[in-house]
Amino acid sequence: MVAKPGSVPDFEALRELFKHHIESFDYMVDAGLDTMLGHIKPVEVFDDFTSTKLRIWLDNPVLYPPQKERISRTMREALLPFECRQAKISYSGKITIDVCFQYNDGPIIRENVNFGQFPIMLQSKLCNLRGADPQKLVSYKEEASEMGGYFILNGLERVVRLLILPKRNYPMSMVRNSFSDRREGYTDKAVVIRCVRADQSSLSVRLYYLRNGSARLGFWLRGREYLLPVGIILKALIDTTDREIYVNLTSCYNEKYEKGKGAVGTQLVGERAKIILDELRDLSLFTRLQCLEYIGEHFQPVMNELKNDSYPIVADAVLKDCILVHLDNNFDKFNLLIFMLQKLFSLIDQTSVPDNPDSLQNHEVLLPGHLITLYLKEKLEDWLQKGRRLLLDEIDKKSKKFDFSDIVQVKKVMDKNSPKQVSTAVENMLKTGRLVTQTGLDLQQRAGYTVQAERLNFLRFLSHFRAVHRGASFAGLRTTTVRKLLPESWGFLCPVHTPDGEPCGLLNHMTCTSRITSFFDSQGNIKDYFKIKMSILNVLLEVGMTPSLPKIFLPGPPEALTVLLDGCVVGCIASSEVEKVVAHIRELKVSSVAVIPDDMEVGYVPLSMGGAYPGLYLCTSPSRFVRPVRNISIASDGSENIELIGPFEQVFMEIRCPDGGDGGRKSSFPATHEEIHPTVMLSVVANLTPWSDHNQSPRNMYQCQMAKQTMAFSSQTIQHRADQKLYHLQTPQTPIVRTSTYTKYNIDEFPTGTNAIVAVLAYTGYDMEDAMILNKSSVERGMFHGQIYQTETIDLTEQGGRSDRSSRMFRKSNIEKSACPSIDSDGLPHVGQMIRPDEPYCSIYNEVTSSIHTLKRKGSEAVYVDYVAADVKNKKHLQKVNIRFRHPRNPVIGDKFSSRHGQKGVCSQLWPDVDMPFSGTTGMRPDLIINPHAFPSRMTIAMLLESVAAKGGSLRGEFVDATPFRSSVTKDSGESDSKSGSLVDDLGLLLREKGFNYHGLEVLYSGVYGTELTCEIFIGPVYYQRLRHMVSDKFQVRSTGTIDQVTRQPIKGRKRGGGIRFGEMERDSLLAHGAAYLLHDRLHTCSDYHIADVCSLCGSMLATTFIQPQKRPVREIGGLPPGRAPKKVTCHACQTSKGMETVAMPYVFRYLAAELAAMNIKMTLKLSDGAGVGA
Amino acid sequence: MEGGVSYARMPRVKIRELKDDYAKFELRDTDASIANALRRVMIAEVPTVAIDLVEIEVNSSVLNDEFIAHRLGLIPLTSERAMSMRFSRDCDACDGDGQCEFCSVEFHLRVKCMTDQTLDVTSKDLYSSDPTVSPVDFSDPSATDSDNNRGIIIVKLRRGQELKLRAIARKGIGKDHAKWSPAATVTFMYEPEIHINEDLMETLTLEEKREWVDSSPTRVFEIDPVTQQVMVVDAEAYTYDDEVLKKAEAMGKPGLVEIIARQDSFIFTVESTGAVKASQLVLNAIEILKQKLDAVRLSEDTVEADDQFGELGAHMRGG
Repeated sequence: MVAKPGSVPDFEALRELFKHHIESFDYMVDAGLDTMLGHIKPVEVFDDFTSTKLRIWLDNPVLYPPQKERISRTMREALLPFECRQAKISYSGKITIDVCFQYNDGPIIRENVNFGQFPIMLQSKLCNLRGADPQKLVSYKEEASEMGGYFILNGLERVVRLLILPKRNYPMSMVRNSFSDRREGYTDKAVVIRCVRADQSSLSVRLYYLRNGSARLGFWLRGREYLLPVGIILKALIDTTDREIYVNLTSCYNEKYEKGKGAVGTQLVGERAKIILDELRDLSLFTRLQCLEYIGEHFQPVMNELKNDSYPIVADAVLKDCILVHLDNNFDKFNLLIFMLQKLFSLIDQTSVPDNPDSLQNHEVLLPGHLITLYLKEKLEDWLQKGRRLLLDEIDKKSKKFDFSDIVQVKKVMDKNSPKQVSTAVENMLKTGRLVTQTGLDLQQRAGYTVQAERLNFLRFLSHFRAVHRGASFAGLRTTTVRKLLPESWGFLCPVHTPDGEPCGLLNHMTCTSRITSFFDSQGNIKDYFKIKMSILNVLLEVGMTPSLPKIFLPGPPEALTVLLDGCVVGCIASSEVEKVVAHIRELKVSSVAVIPDDMEVGYVPLSMGGAYPGLYLCTSPSRFVRPVRNISIASDGSENIELIGPFEQVFMEIRCPDGGDGGRKSSFPATHEEIHPTVMLSVVANLTPWSDHNQSPRNMYQCQMAKQTMAFSSQTIQHRADQKLYHLQTPQTPIVRTSTYTKYNIDEFPTGTNAIVAVLAYTGYDMEDAMILNKSSVERGMFHGQIYQTETIDLTEQGGRSDRSSRMFRKSNIEKSACPSIDSDGLPHVGQMIRPDEPYCSIYNEVTSSIHTLKRKGSEAVYVDYVAADVKNKKHLQKVNIRFRHPRNPVIGDKFSSRHGQKGVCSQLWPDVDMPFSGTTGMRPDLIINPHAFPSRMTIAMLLESVAAKGGSLRGEFVDATPFRSSVTKDSGESDSKSGSLVDDLGLLLREKGFNYHGLEVLYSGVYGTELTCEIFIGPVYYQRLRHMVSDKFQVRSTGTIDQVTRQPIKGRKRGGGIRFGEMERDSLLAHGAAYLLHDRLHTCSDYHIADVCSLCGSMLATTFIQPQKRPVREIGGLPPGRAPKKVTCHACQTSKGMETVAMPYVFRYLAAELAAMNIKMTLKLSDGAGVGA
Repeated sequence: MEGGVSYARMPRVKIRELKDDYAKFELRDTDASIANALRRVMIAEVPTVAIDLVEIEVNSSVLNDEFIAHRLGLIPLTSERAMSMRFSRDCDACDGDGQCEFCSVEFHLRVKCMTDQTLDVTSKDLYSSDPTVSPVDFSDPSATDSDNNRGIIIVKLRRGQELKLRAIARKGIGKDHAKWSPAATVTFMYEPEIHINEDLMETLTLEEKREWVDSSPTRVFEIDPVTQQVMVVDAEAYTYDDEVLKKAEAMGKPGLVEIIARQDSFIFTVESTGAVKASQLVLNAIEILKQKLDAVRLSEDTVEADDQFGELGAHMRGG
């Protein structure tokens, strides 16, 4: 399975993992910006003086690929991402938009405006790497497997985090205490729907239930929630009568179906319908026009731009822009509102259950392209509004210079509001992950939208793109409901790959086959949703759906099921026919000739006794989770019949796992689908654990975290990286035991560890608990060798003040040439030079002051200069350089290592080779010894299997496939039961054929005595990882040093040379050992030791002072030295120096005495010899 | 004296196999302490020459300086005269800086890639100032393929990349760093003594005999096709894993076979890295052992030794 040398590996499966990031950005570039600009309303400026109206709107957005700054008039070079990483600039391209002006109804004047540099996602359509093959990528100084999907901002790589949002255009019934707090009379039940427009902006609508049986529709406008009686909305949408509303509302109830299966209505539905209609009568609203005027009257003060329009026009705007905004047709809105009311009543009557807001069934994700579109829209709207205010200010000034009819002057006024700040705002949002917004954009959080795509190793980098976060507001919650692993997530989110601790269950990772739908179809074209909708409607009509368009009263459950297509009621189907309809639609989904999109979700909720509200919910929108399963109910004519399903429909389907059994399934519900492979429920990182089905589950979870903390082979373009910190494993190996996922995603390009010979025995006293022993000779031969690369950027234009900015340059001093041998004549260090602590490595010359300033190496260890990269943008003098240092990190005592099964340990000793136990037949000496106590309580059986399999694999010169759930897949291939034995037997037979023990045990001899060890030792190769927690980065040693200026006690922190915390438990430990002097040393001598002068007469230590010796006229006698006055300490209070004594004490005690004196409290000491000091 | 006989050993060595980099021999009439001491000395105390200091002048390859230096240090160098060389720390000719002809050998490496083909920098590109100390030649004389005459790859260079360095090789032992160890591995096993209980064996059927013979993962026993008797075909293939003993107990025949590890017979296997011939490695190890014993014996001639060991010291001198 391993690729031959020289062949180019296939990175397509790897790129598939990043696809949803790139496709959302590509759609934004292709069509999303256009759609978004179409949704920005024009601003109007009215000049009363000239009776002229000016309308301004935006059109024709064009986004360009990144280009270098212009070096000549004719040449424009493409900007490459690696140049942005090195020069600490952003990978962005120019964005231009036409600003359209129109006076009254005259001709349109277009002005192409440059809105600044817009961040470009790597490997998107506008990226200069798009379409490059691996060889070309290498020539661009990128990884051959560069997947893209992130941004480079100020040289840092940032990725937009996938955030969970409520499922769009789906009415969800919810129960919340905050609902009853809205106003008096409200209950805690509501139906909520998040309506998404074509430009991906959304507005949620809530249908609240009141205690008197009525309902209120709530929506947000200008940062405030407005509540309207639902009857007014219904009448305002279409011309209808009370009877029609009543019949529609009660269509879900029929007396003959009372309390039967699928009955969702009760007698109370009719009563509630009357109450809703009575509210209208009480307000004297009988016709549609009256309702529109009622709404318009209340909302005109809020809609500023419609100040001069009539009430019905204002009401139409409210209905169009604020209520069910995903639908264009008022009739469709009416039908959906009726459906929502029926669902609300069913929730009240408990004939259906609430939808779980924590279930993946009701979730979708916020994609990067959509987030940027939303934010850019708001910034452009702000820009237009600000331009409008500037124009109005100019008009109000009544200045003679300003002519409103002159388009040139209008543009000049608008240019005061710089268009480039729009792109700057988008870039800042991506840099910080923080939204600066007034409206909140109907999102639940303001920060945390982007994270740095740190490359600690490749798996950590990859996990950023597969991570799905629940939201920052949930992180503070202590409840478990939002963190639960629900069955709805099966196959979409990995049950293993989630952090332990607070983010557990909130930060999840997509499985390896899970995808997210986009605007592109499988051929790469943008979907035509109108055509898709027409095709689906035609299919539904062919199979007998009753359409809603001719305004027929639709029957409801249990007689018929309502059909919703992307949140639009399109008709109903008889309950007896709906299962055939669903099977037919699924068949068309799988068929490649059909026009139905293959990622459409067919959410058939069947009739049930008090279950979910029944219906047929079809979804074709983007941002949904989908995953492939095999449809086994379609006749197989050679094709695999792979169908993409979503989390909403999955819970109502019968999907079989390929273990051959039915899992207790009843014969009345046969399986219609089958999993493709048992490992599709795991993420990429979780799939890398060999035979993880033989491990205890938490061990697999720990391995997912430790795989991302591993010091691995960081990058194949390490020569061109400029990361601030980069961990690099110098001598990696490919694992002998690997899963099929390891091969599929080319993890061999970035291996994470070494095959180490591991012996499980208690051989010395150094391997207690989780400690382990490394073979000293193995380490000396290169095992686990690594480096830390640290890049320092020196930008002379940023240092110092503005005045002397251009006068600084890199230059070496001629006077002290011999003093800095490590610096070259250009003021920069030699490549390969070793720099010791406090040694200068860079020299900066100031022309104005003629002074030389050197930068000195901080830290406590010697480093090597790896490279010096210069930014030659400024031709006069070098102004910006990157100097990368290299820290050698070979294993030492205290470093941390781990297998791939959550068995981590700290190296406690490097054991000489000759002292290691050895095998008499092969001479093998282990590289690593671990304690056998590590296995019984942790039950990592897969690690033992890996050891046996790797031994067999290395003896045969083969890699071993360790994909989990082996027994499930073997029977599928048709082998007889007698051949497919257990995994232990299969691996044991391999060893036996090569003359080794069946279970991997060997007889070893003591390296010290040469005698046989009396028990057989389990020994074999295990793939071991080196974690990035190394003692060289964490150790802290100090006797005395920097102290706090106030208390004179040691400061805190390793970086500042602070003290090591000595807590109460440490104190108790020393007391238990009777080590009094050591305790005194830690807490006094090495802390704030101080000698104070105390007056034994009055007990004060603050009133003491020195006496200045009096200068008496003394005639010097020739030949004798001058007399010396003795130093005296006196007490001010007692006016004598007789009682002065010196006492050793903590300085903080003296500080306490001074603090008490400030509060007029005097502290008195009583001194005694040897008996201690009493206050 | 009768008391001195118990400390005397008359070991016998019989060579079974001898190649340049491989040796197999028997060591008899001695005990485990001597065998293990010999093993340990061969691995960790026989001196060889290895590169110890690298001054890199130009390195534009993809590997960093320390890694190239590390790989150079691990290259085995022919060390026939290592026993007579001086340790750098003890050398008085160069005052301890370790760069004179008595305690060090100088190497130079200058390679630059001028073609589009990837250039392999190997140990053959290292030029030694002393022809007796040079990288070990791993080529097979019988093969005529030119690709076979490759040394150990140090680094690969692409067009324009260059590597230029000077290296100093010094004498050292494996205890200080693994690069000075002349042995790829040295191991010994106790010679097994196998006795089959013929009476119990006769009670087994042919199928049971076959099953019992197959229980050993290594081929120790075999059934004679003519006489249907179980016989020992390769006693030294036994790995002391007790599999056949467990099988006999499981079959209800404990005592079917008795296997004893002889405490005075050892089968040694020596694999050399090529720095020293395998035969020379054994001889050097014995020489080192003798030097260690001489050091112990010399200390006993002093007055302090007499006081320390008392009558035992006088007894060991044969007085």
